[in-house]
Amino acid sequence: MNEIILKLKSIYDKYKIIIILAGSILLLLVPVIFPKSYIMGIICRILLYIILAGGLNVINGYSSQFCIGYAGFFCIGAYTEAILALRLKINFWLLLPIAGIVTAIAGLLICLPTLKLKGKYLALVTLGFSEIVRLIALNWSSLTGGPMGLKGIPVPKIFGIEFKNSLSYYYIFLFLVAIFLFVTRRVINSRIGRAWMSIREDEQAARSLGVDTSMYKALNFMYGAFWAGIAGAAYAPYTRYIDSTFFTLDEGFNILSMAIIGGMGTLIGPVAGSIVVNLLTELLRPISEYRLVAYAILIIAMMWLRPQGLFGASKSILAGKEIVKKARKAEKEAAA
Amino acid sequence: MEYLLNQIVNGISQGAIYALMAIGYSVVVGVTGLITFTHGEVIMIGAFASFYIFQYIGNNLILGIIASFIASWILGMFIYYVCYDRFFEAPSHISLICTIGASMLIRNLAQIYFGPNQKPMLNIIDNKVYRIGVLQVSLMQIVILITVVVLASILAFFINNTRWGIMLRAVSQDKKAAYLMGINVRKTAMIGNCIGCGLAGIAGLLISIYYQTLQATMGGSLGMKAFSSSVLGGLTDTRYSALGGLAIGLIENLGITISTASFRDIFAFGFLITVLIIRPEGFASRKGAKSQ
Amino acid sequence: MKVLLEAKNVSKHFGGLKAVDNVDMVIYEGDIFGIIGPNGAGKTTFFNLCSGVFPVTGGEIYFNGENITNLRPDIIAKKGMARTFQNIKLFNYMSVLENIKIGFHIHSRTRMWDAILHTSVYKRDEKLAEEKGMEIIERVGLKDYKDILAGNLPYGMQRMVEIARALALDPKLLLLDEPAAGMNPNETMALMEFIKKLNHEGYTIAVIEHDMKFVMNTCNRIMVLNFGKKICEGDPEYVRSNKEVNEAYFGKGIVVQGGTM
Repeated sequence: MNEIILKLKSIYDKYKIIIILAGSILLLLVPVIFPKSYIMGIICRILLYIILAGGLNVINGYSSQFCIGYAGFFCIGAYTEAILALRLKINFWLLLPIAGIVTAIAGLLICLPTLKLKGKYLALVTLGFSEIVRLIALNWSSLTGGPMGLKGIPVPKIFGIEFKNSLSYYYIFLFLVAIFLFVTRRVINSRIGRAWMSIREDEQAARSLGVDTSMYKALNFMYGAFWAGIAGAAYAPYTRYIDSTFFTLDEGFNILSMAIIGGMGTLIGPVAGSIVVNLLTELLRPISEYRLVAYAILIIAMMWLRPQGLFGASKSILAGKEIVKKARKAEKEAAA
Repeated sequence: MEYLLNQIVNGISQGAIYALMAIGYSVVVGVTGLITFTHGEVIMIGAFASFYIFQYIGNNLILGIIASFIASWILGMFIYYVCYDRFFEAPSHISLICTIGASMLIRNLAQIYFGPNQKPMLNIIDNKVYRIGVLQVSLMQIVILITVVVLASILAFFINNTRWGIMLRAVSQDKKAAYLMGINVRKTAMIGNCIGCGLAGIAGLLISIYYQTLQATMGGSLGMKAFSSSVLGGLTDTRYSALGGLAIGLIENLGITISTASFRDIFAFGFLITVLIIRPEGFASRKGAKSQ
Repeated sequence: MKVLLEAKNVSKHFGGLKAVDNVDMVIYEGDIFGIIGPNGAGKTTFFNLCSGVFPVTGGEIYFNGENITNLRPDIIAKKGMARTFQNIKLFNYMSVLENIKIGFHIHSRTRMWDAILHTSVYKRDEKLAEEKGMEIIERVGLKDYKDILAGNLPYGMQRMVEIARALALDPKLLLLDEPAAGMNPNETMALMEFIKKLNHEGYTIAVIEHDMKFVMNTCNRIMVLNFGKKICEGDPEYVRSNKEVNEAYFGKGIVVQGGTM
């Protein structure tokens, strides 16, 4: 697996410009190649989940905080967009960043009490948080429509073009995925990304080097939540109807499966995860009730065989085992 | 006032069930040293085991308890081998993810085989209500309290006075030292895990009797509450975890006096967050919660 | 001489155990200050108090004239105190160069926007980390190993990487916790020379060590801890001739615990 990745990388480096050009033209032409709305629907799902799994990966993969209730943030983003669009008739393009910021603030509120604790606490708190958000969406009928949900969310428009089906909405998702990958790549390769990774590898050492770990963990969590908000805001006008059943814990586990199976700690991992898991979902459609069973088995198998996931960061603590063993050996030798 | 007092009684009996779950949780966490997400699913399987026993064999509470215990013990073994056995040395997030996978697996298989809808639990305890002044105490609540107290005492006796109990305590305090003392750490960890799961299974039986319903997805919020309770108790201290369970039961039932029952979980969760802010190490000030 | 680090009556109790008990200490600018003592004497705990890993039970710590008692480790690091750990804490899965780049964290100020837009701040920071990082790597003699994962290096080299990483902070005071542990005699000799060289370049260094010879040959002032208490402080000659120190290290005829204090 690692050799294949290296080989692909070297090919990519060689023909970088050609590959990027050809790739982007191909991506732009996808709706022409597959004019069927069924296939475009799947592709749109894949793109949506690239943002979601990718955002989750920033939290789980880069700073090793553990968020499980990511669907809660997705939910907040979607409801923020829908409510503001329906009530105040705010433009979709303005609502994207607004929903992102609202969700990031929610993320900050959730991670503040758990910053000083081990990551595992955060995991369970996010799980509870996700459930609470869903319950509020279900029960606060005057704002969220309760069990009836919110209907008739206006579709986005730009220069008179309406994005009202999956063929045209594809471009919105593609645009967002491109921005997400571009921005995240730059953040990861900067001092901020290095600080996140140092926290993942050894928090105490990071602190001794002057990394304000609490601040960077909060920043990391907000960044991840921000993209869930963006994804939610893009998703609401796509389906034009949302209710609380879209954002259950299972949805959170669905996103988590993509991040884990695709691989954490790299940008490409969640992309692969989203593609693999969504295609698997289509494959398993005849026995759809076994869908999550299949993911669960895949997750366990991944942990047993390749803890960092298909394309995850093999040079990180996520991969477990090898270096830990080597370090132990070195320690023993030193002691002897 | 009368209503409030009765809510306190309800809170205590419900809290007693949470306490049992929390005791199980802290035994598991103590002995494996790793946080688990499967606890809710274990609780659910315990409830279903007794449900089928009641349905096909007969309305016998003792029989139900034994069935729940055995079923969740077996599930505990499964969880141990899937999630813990090979990961003691590895970074802890790996086994954490494994428990998430196992929890997804168990819950979704349960949904398929037991059906996704709520089932009514059989009425195995008479619906008698005793009045003491303004207080109303049902027979069911008394039975629950007695069961929890008896089980907790058995566990306390087991942990404090038997050879296995001492081994369990040794392993949960320091695996390496226990290993050097010749204790079979893996086997002890497995048995500790199974005991914790067994207690959770019985708690599942009790909670489904209490609410008169059970459902394949009931594990999620119950597992959360078990976790919250044991966080209140400093995560590995069984006695304080039990107190934490009682506290959450009380908070929930007092909370719904000022709003509706659908916000029940919100109170439990809000309480957890508050405690995490004020006193992250729980009631008991032992190391563990604080990050190193 | 300017006082750089001063501890006044510093104590740390873990339950009933007095790990550090009323220790006074002064490190002057330009010192190589040695802290020695038998196992469990509280040396590492004392370091942890100075660098903010634990809060103190009592007493005050001043760094460069500022009260730093109970400040967070990252704030203390920003004030110019860098440290290494007894049980090496490298980012095992990162290359040597990446490890050192993280050391430049406090000297860079890239914000989210700078990173996204690649502003001049970002470019300056990356250049600084890359160039100065290489410079430090060359200084500690690890040039050939810069792309190797830190966790894969032998023990002695890991210690050097950790020191290099601390140097990236450009600290006023460098705390080294048993830097020679796990090194072979040759490496230890090289380390001693290196520490002296750093001192000549103007770094103030405090070092914990078991090895008497190491401390006697490198340090200009030495503090001896035993059972959490300071039993002696002074230059190597004085410490060598001190009766209590010899007793603490080699015992005496009839050991009466606490009798010598």
